[in-house]
Amino acid sequence: MTIRRDLLIGLGLALLVALLPAVIGMRYVLTQATLFFIWGIVVLQWNLVLGIGGIFSLAQMALFAVGAYATAMLGYYFAMPMVLAMPLAALITVVVSTLVGLACLRLKGPYVALLTLAVAQVLYLLIVNDTECFTNPSSGCMPLFGGVRGFTRFGDLGFRDLFGAKWYVANYYLGLVLLCLAAAFSIAIIRGPMGLAFQALRDNPGCAMARGVSRFKYQLWIFALSAFFTGLAGSFYAVHFAAVGPTAFSITTLLFLLSMIVVGGIGTVWGPLLGALLLMLADETMREFGDWRDIGLGVILAGFVILLPKGVLGSLQGLVQRLRRARPS
Amino acid sequence: MDVIVQILASGLTMGAMYAISTIGLALVYGSLNMLNMSHGALLALGGYICYFAMSHLGLHPVLGLIAAMLVCGLVGLGIYYVAAQPMLRSANFETQIFIATIGIGAIIENVILRLFGPQPTAQPLNLPGALVIGTVHIPNQNLLILGVALGLMAALAYLLQRTRLGRAIRATAQNREAAQLMGVRVGVVYAQVLALSGGLAAISGVMVSSLSSLLPNMGGDPMLKAFIICVVAGLGNVYGAVAAAIVLGLLEAFAQYMLGVRYSFAILLLLVIAVLIWRPYGLFGRRQVVRL
Repeated sequence: MTIRRDLLIGLGLALLVALLPAVIGMRYVLTQATLFFIWGIVVLQWNLVLGIGGIFSLAQMALFAVGAYATAMLGYYFAMPMVLAMPLAALITVVVSTLVGLACLRLKGPYVALLTLAVAQVLYLLIVNDTECFTNPSSGCMPLFGGVRGFTRFGDLGFRDLFGAKWYVANYYLGLVLLCLAAAFSIAIIRGPMGLAFQALRDNPGCAMARGVSRFKYQLWIFALSAFFTGLAGSFYAVHFAAVGPTAFSITTLLFLLSMIVVGGIGTVWGPLLGALLLMLADETMREFGDWRDIGLGVILAGFVILLPKGVLGSLQGLVQRLRRARPS
Repeated sequence: MDVIVQILASGLTMGAMYAISTIGLALVYGSLNMLNMSHGALLALGGYICYFAMSHLGLHPVLGLIAAMLVCGLVGLGIYYVAAQPMLRSANFETQIFIATIGIGAIIENVILRLFGPQPTAQPLNLPGALVIGTVHIPNQNLLILGVALGLMAALAYLLQRTRLGRAIRATAQNREAAQLMGVRVGVVYAQVLALSGGLAAISGVMVSSLSSLLPNMGGDPMLKAFIICVVAGLGNVYGAVAAAIVLGLLEAFAQYMLGVRYSFAILLLLVIAVLIWRPYGLFGRRQVVRL
């Protein structure tokens, strides 16, 4: 019942959004919308880990970066076409995520948060501090992982040849399709057996574990599975901007995406997407104020956790439930 | 031989520095179960306040340090009353306060960035000269850091073991409800712990910046290392954290010498993961029996 409702909501929204380029054809709007799709995918998957799985992982942006880097490196070193490189990069991300999960998920709560943050930081440092030349193209020394500069010119999806100046519209639709797939995946997880297992582990951990629901097993599964679309989002990000650099690890982006989830509502189906939309709009407004943007982000994040910890959607749901109960039946 | 002395000296300095930043975190986690992600920003704030007091107001270094401690302590107090207290009773306090303090840290860091700019600045609190043992030069600044760390640890041990406040802190950390029933005003203890941790962060920030330089985001790296140390020692264990800090500082100096600076952090992390797989609650942490 609920799964059908969620899928219908998703389908309706997707159709509406698909019509957008016909109404507003401005390049800026469409590129920002494409970015929204990318962040939407990431927060949907992060929400699975954070809100459903109860794993306080801060490695999501690192996994995103793994996807982006894998794509760029496959294209740069092996001249692999992007159509192949993108899914392959997503699979590589799943492998990396499984390894990180195996190392971190035996621990609980804050231990996991710190360890995943440390893993992300180590990956960043290893890339940035790498100064040995791996290859020496005409543009200058190129470390194995691109060093501080990162990768450019590793190929694209060929949209520029196919559609000419309108290539960004093609990217827009590709992003939308990926977001729909990611959303369908996230709904299937939340409403499916795995979501039930996690709900059991939350509601009555003793009973659930006695019935053979292993926390570690399920957490590892959700951690690894959610990495697929996270990596794919990173991969698409790399192709869309035709560049990857260590900025993918930046703490500001991590803060931005975490705020999306918190503002929308942790653990809800549609909350993260709503949060992504709200924060990108807020970001657009704050852009006028330039450097105050990061302070604004911090205020939003802290303010929501303190005043409205369930987020916009979670609080709305609570309100609706209370109204229903108040109405005499 | 000289190399060993050199490694020992820099390792002990690093360990002492880590220990100062770690104690504050361990205290706060031990009593409130709160991971303070704004600790790094407090470190930077302390460094900058000391710099401001000394080079713009022309104060004596000791006064600069005290000013930094006061400001950071007040900010810590503010964090308790604005963020921690309202959500203290909520079910997933640990996650919520973690996220909230990430936000607060971003605010503090960016305010510093607005006020002082992004360029690296030298920390004026710096002892010139060096101690020469054979052919090894040990900068006086390193000795100062070691001395300050030792003094602080002694003071803190006295505070925790011998004073009324310390007893209240330890009692609250052991069992919040029981402490409350015995008449400990838990809220006041929490506020004091956060103010104390802020003051410690300030000292740590001044020390860290005196070895490198002042940057608005300088706190991130020491904070992450301090967290790792806390995790290795077992979250909330203050004395274990000091021991782990010194051991990890020595290890890092050794790894830097043997394998280069690039890999030292990665190796540290691998080691930590290995330790945690062996003992998930840290080296000195007690396995917690969870009652359902």
